[in-house]
Amino acid sequence: MDTGFTLWLFAVSVAASALGGMLGMASGIFIVPILTMFGHIEIHTAIGASIVSVIACSCGGAAPYLGKRLTNVRLAIVLEIATTMGAVTGVLLVGIVPVRYLYFLFAVVLFLSAQQMLARRRDPVLASVPAGAGHWSAAFQLDSSYPDRELGREVSYRVQRLPLGMMLMYGAGLISALLGIGSGVLKIPAMDTAMRLPIKVSSATSNFMIGVTAAASAGAYFMRGNIVTAVAGPVAFGSVLGAIVGARILMIVSNERLRLLFVIILVALGIQMLLTVFGIQFSKGSL
Amino acid sequence: MSRTGRLEVLLAALLRNGSWLASAAIGLGFTLALIDSRFGTQNLAIVPNMRIATIGIVLFILLPSLRVLLMLLVFIREGDFRLAVTAGLVLAMILLGIALGIRATSGLAG
Repeated sequence: MDTGFTLWLFAVSVAASALGGMLGMASGIFIVPILTMFGHIEIHTAIGASIVSVIACSCGGAAPYLGKRLTNVRLAIVLEIATTMGAVTGVLLVGIVPVRYLYFLFAVVLFLSAQQMLARRRDPVLASVPAGAGHWSAAFQLDSSYPDRELGREVSYRVQRLPLGMMLMYGAGLISALLGIGSGVLKIPAMDTAMRLPIKVSSATSNFMIGVTAAASAGAYFMRGNIVTAVAGPVAFGSVLGAIVGARILMIVSNERLRLLFVIILVALGIQMLLTVFGIQFSKGSL
Repeated sequence: MSRTGRLEVLLAALLRNGSWLASAAIGLGFTLALIDSRFGTQNLAIVPNMRIATIGIVLFILLPSLRVLLMLLVFIREGDFRLAVTAGLVLAMILLGIALGIRATSGLAG
């Protein structure tokens, strides 16, 4: 591992994290395909590096959301039971699932993410009348409110269909552990469609939870030797810097153009991952 | 300040400071390693300063567990035992994940 490659890893991670950060998506979804297909890094080492960067971005970005009272910490800790259980299941499957299937699963997640990016998210709280409190939600006192600066008032919300949300979160934890990503692809339907949380609360709480979900599998990846400092170090450091850069760029670039760019990149990476499954490669990565 | 508000302030401080510390360790480790290699093409992975970067990575991996531990302690102190048990279960899951990693490693060694 030479200096040039280390700097390449760093630069790629800054770019991927900045791009992801601009649209509220973790950088893992770009990092793993780039490291495997262009950096020719073994997929488990790429996933190990990505999982550290996911933790770094989650922890590094959590404070502002907590300060603005957007994060529902009570809901987060309840949902984390499901995500960490999913992650532990993923840890059990890591050595069993063939590498070819990991590439295929990654391609599916990339296509689904592109499709979600094209479909606009509607704010469930603003779009509907709040329903009655659910049994579990009341037991754990999960309903809350947040100050909405755009609306200029405090917005109250109820947490609905918690069991369904937890089932989807289990799946999110499983995918996170298997692929080293934040699993926004399952967290968005869990938060928006199942539990009907306001988008701002959903994004903040999801970001807060990603670190703990990733930590449940990161320990196992570290013990197995899949977290290689020479790879994970520049990737994590670059991702933290990229997230800061992404948040700044977000304020000056058109969201619509970004959304289209994002979809094109996701589909291109998905096609490349799918071609790799069938043994067709533009670059000389190895399965 | 409300009870939950206090918890949020504590969590923000832990995550902010922990992230800075871990990032600084990784940055320092790699900077020293780069200086050691004098910007040549030596093998960075074997430079001793990479240990500092490894400590930074371990800090990042431990930081979410510390966050859950902090939540557990605050919930116990506030008498919110349902959420304290929940936080305890989450911690147990993280430890189980590490234990499975250790078992896989010893399996490989054996």
